[in-house]
Amino acid sequence: MEEELNKDQKNSRRQFLKKGLIAGAGVAIGSGLLAAYVDTNAAETGEKVKVLTTDGEIMEVDRGLLKLPRVSREESHKGIPGRKFVMVIDLGKCKNARKCVEACQKGHHLPQSQEFMKVYLLQDSEKTAPYWFPKPCFHCDNPLCVSVCPVGATYKRSDGIVLIDNERCIGCKFCMTGCPYSTRVFAWKHYPEFDEDKEPYSPEASSPGKEGTVSKCDFCPDLIRVGKIPYCASACPMGVIYFGDVDEDTVTNGTETYQFSKLIHDRAGYRYLETLGTRPCVYYLPPVDRQFEVDRGFGDLEESVKDRYKDTPYSKKNKP
Amino acid sequence: MELQQKNPLRDFAPQLERTSIQGYVWIVFLLAVIGLGFYAFLQQVFLGHEVTGMRDNVVWGVYIVNFIFFMGVSYAGALISGTLHLFKTAWRKPIIRMAEFITIIALLIGPCFILLCIGRLDKLHYLVLFGRIQSPITWDVIAITTDIFGCFIFLYLSLLRDLATLRDYELLQLPNWRKKLYKVLALGYTGTPEQQQRLNRATDIMAAMVISIAIIVYSVLAWIFSVTLQPGWHSTIFGPYFVIAAVYSGSAVLIVCMWVFRKVYHLEEYITKKHFVAVGLIMLVLAAFFGYFTFSDYLTKWYGSEKNDELLIQLLFKEFYWPFIISNYIGVLLPLLVVGIAKFRTISNITITSVVVIIALWLNRYIIVVPTLESPYLPIQDARPEWLNYSATWVEWSLTAAGVAIFCLLFTIASKFITIVPLSGSQGEEKKEDVLV
Amino acid sequence: MAIQPLNSFAEEKTDSAAAPAESRMALNYLCSTDSVNLSATLTIKRGDMTLALENAVVEFTASNGTTTTILGTAKTNQEGSALLSFPSALLPTDKDGMVSYMAKFTGNDKYPAAEATSSAKPAKIRLFFSIEDSLRILKVTATQKNEKGEDVAIPKETVLIYIPRLFSLLKIGEISLDETGTGTLEFPKEIVGDTLGNLVVIAKIEEHDKFGFVQGKNVINWGVHKQYYKAEVPSRELWTPIAPLWMIITLLVMLAGVWAHYMYAVYELVMIKRLSKKDKPLF
Ligand code: SF4
Ligand code: SF4
Repeated sequence: MEEELNKDQKNSRRQFLKKGLIAGAGVAIGSGLLAAYVDTNAAETGEKVKVLTTDGEIMEVDRGLLKLPRVSREESHKGIPGRKFVMVIDLGKCKNARKCVEACQKGHHLPQSQEFMKVYLLQDSEKTAPYWFPKPCFHCDNPLCVSVCPVGATYKRSDGIVLIDNERCIGCKFCMTGCPYSTRVFAWKHYPEFDEDKEPYSPEASSPGKEGTVSKCDFCPDLIRVGKIPYCASACPMGVIYFGDVDEDTVTNGTETYQFSKLIHDRAGYRYLETLGTRPCVYYLPPVDRQFEVDRGFGDLEESVKDRYKDTPYSKKNKP
Repeated sequence: MELQQKNPLRDFAPQLERTSIQGYVWIVFLLAVIGLGFYAFLQQVFLGHEVTGMRDNVVWGVYIVNFIFFMGVSYAGALISGTLHLFKTAWRKPIIRMAEFITIIALLIGPCFILLCIGRLDKLHYLVLFGRIQSPITWDVIAITTDIFGCFIFLYLSLLRDLATLRDYELLQLPNWRKKLYKVLALGYTGTPEQQQRLNRATDIMAAMVISIAIIVYSVLAWIFSVTLQPGWHSTIFGPYFVIAAVYSGSAVLIVCMWVFRKVYHLEEYITKKHFVAVGLIMLVLAAFFGYFTFSDYLTKWYGSEKNDELLIQLLFKEFYWPFIISNYIGVLLPLLVVGIAKFRTISNITITSVVVIIALWLNRYIIVVPTLESPYLPIQDARPEWLNYSATWVEWSLTAAGVAIFCLLFTIASKFITIVPLSGSQGEEKKEDVLV
Repeated sequence: MAIQPLNSFAEEKTDSAAAPAESRMALNYLCSTDSVNLSATLTIKRGDMTLALENAVVEFTASNGTTTTILGTAKTNQEGSALLSFPSALLPTDKDGMVSYMAKFTGNDKYPAAEATSSAKPAKIRLFFSIEDSLRILKVTATQKNEKGEDVAIPKETVLIYIPRLFSLLKIGEISLDETGTGTLEFPKEIVGDTLGNLVVIAKIEEHDKFGFVQGKNVINWGVHKQYYKAEVPSRELWTPIAPLWMIITLLVMLAGVWAHYMYAVYELVMIKRLSKKDKPLF
């Protein structure tokens, strides 16, 4: 325990030093620190700009200042020290806008046919209410997918994130049957989208993908490292998806920030299929006080997406 | 004694020396089927696994079914030959070699099918380099390797006497290299009492080993499914259930082999109705066991009717109705009737029953693997038909056919190399046999 | 599709084909205890697409209408933001104490120039912690400078109280300042700090007409001690790299048993071979 404390003190000092460094960079900007990784021509980044939060909290933007190179495969096994990530999904607000799916696919350079985030239309039984159910990987604390992997290609890190190293993965697909939540996707061929990503592969980015290997939602550790929440969480126009550090007891969807324990307590948060004993790190807030009718979820979807839900009990019942 | 041993060899010599026109046609046909399979394999390698019917939900299809099937056949061969040997069953002699061949050949083909399932064959060596002991696949890799070695040693031990006989039989018209090969392989065995004693001891030990490993290996294979949480797979009964199903299918394959070789090599004298009935009775007992396991597995699922088990059973009785009926009703009841009732016990009846049993058991594996993957906890919601329902493509079927063809081809080649009926038994047993005859 | 970042060649091509670019600048201001932070965001709008401009040099100036001070320059990052912070003491103020800030991008051959301005009066927020009647009390004061350069209170404003977290600020309360520019809050329990219970507390006035964004900061050990998840990471589980001991032992025992028998069988074969050699002369 002593040691833990000491370590923490050291950690916070290091954190402090780092912050100082970044603040310093803010002053001496344009010299050494930045020159190391950008060329000198002004260029468009290709990223759509997000609306700046009006709270003007500059320290937050500060951390995004440094464009970190992707961490190596070895490094990606370690996890971000002293963190344990958690996601909270508010089913009461979801209207199947699918922005999470799109942002995730774009961010991870995925083809249309691979979705890390899937949105289901669930109805637990005939007389219960239907609801939209976005489902990422649950990053289980007892991950069966990791247990069954014969080569250690998928692993759980100290920060709770379950990643896949596609350089190690042999594509046996055992993890896909091991996961009870149908979370994992397989690259059935080489998709052209994989080539879009020119950066070297890192399990933290889950990109570029590789034919014959498995991939899945990764909680975007590459974004976390620069102080950003995952693609899905920041893309959702309804703010359905909250993300944060459970040890810090805080989750945020980018605009609202809550105390995790209070949120779960007040809104009766739960984990999906708790009985399976996988101990997920994703919590759901029940679909109460809905902001939208379920039908809104069919809004302006592409036909192919609409078709997915045609066999659900809800759609069948509502068929004229 | 000497003469007695040479007599059968004269009968078998043509089998080893010559291959008939039909034999060549047969081999060319097999090679063609294998060629098609190879083409399909290249397609899969170069175009990706997209050419198969497997998708994100049904990640394992016909390949894994074939894997289970061939491994099952193999273990059955091992169990049958091991048991027959250990209990010194008198009538085993003409068929025991076939059982041994079935073991080895199926054991070489089975694992190839699981390799077809693997996305990155280039990284296969990682299984050894980075093997994790917690993974049932690692257990399987270790178990299958162990099993292959064990079965080879066992087969070799039981071949040794015949190899020596072939080496010593001067009249055999064979190219020189084959004679040399026999000589090397026979290890200078001449049948001295001490050599006999050592050989018997080693064979007994290996027979016991082969039996126990077969049970372990097939249980491990079953655990690949039952350690997961998937509805329909997560069952404690799977280990013994798979073992029984394996031996069951293997006994059927043995009967079919007996029938084929009896016809092709005119072994009516050696393989008689007695043998068919004997193996048929083994099959009967196994059918009863198999039915019992199947029943108790589905009964508990149906009675308890957890939501997902219920969905699975609904699926089985709807989309998989015929496979389900064939594998779990006809596949159980037919042997009970045909072999159980003495009147029906003819060689052809028993053989036809065996063919049905083989098909039924293959379907049994299919409806264990596929429906479960089609009914996961979270309902499959997809617009793409191939993502919803699995159906194997020509690539998978060609490779399946190629697997069967390789099985036949290897069997043909093996029967050209060494007589399909053992020429000699160990001293002690022969005496017993003499008494019987 | 969006343009690949940092590839100047590809850029050239896309540029000539595309609609004319329009540069836009936004300037954000934050005044903390003794420094001022400016953040300018530069975006390019072309057609329907808005893109962040990376690596552009932005010059920041401050003025009071008569004199203009160059504060410095900064380059924009991936998100198009350039950041600058500097001590608030050096700023030229007008007679109301206001400072006008300007961020300016001079443009280059590809993108036109852009600028943005913002003005605010420097202010200060201070935080004090005390325990009264065993209640934890947070007191906040807000001050501004008068013409003489003395600190005077900012009355009747709303101050928001935050705890900085990994991704964002966690709001824990709101304080309304009284006439004297002071307000208090009972500090909530069960806010997780670091492993020593230390918490950084931030008090902010936001989007004020005159003061803009003002913030003060202090540290107190009123947090719940953080328990690191890492401390409880098990080492031998099904999912860890190393297997549970019983598994390894069982496997080894089984393998040893089986392979020992194999060895024995092979040994017997070797002996058979040996025997034949011994027998040879007899034939
Ligand atoms: S949800 Fe599935 S893939 Fe994700 S950690 Fe859990 S078991 Fe593994
Ligand atoms: S598919 Fe890859 S990650 Fe999954 S179990 Fe096999 S080797 Fe491991």
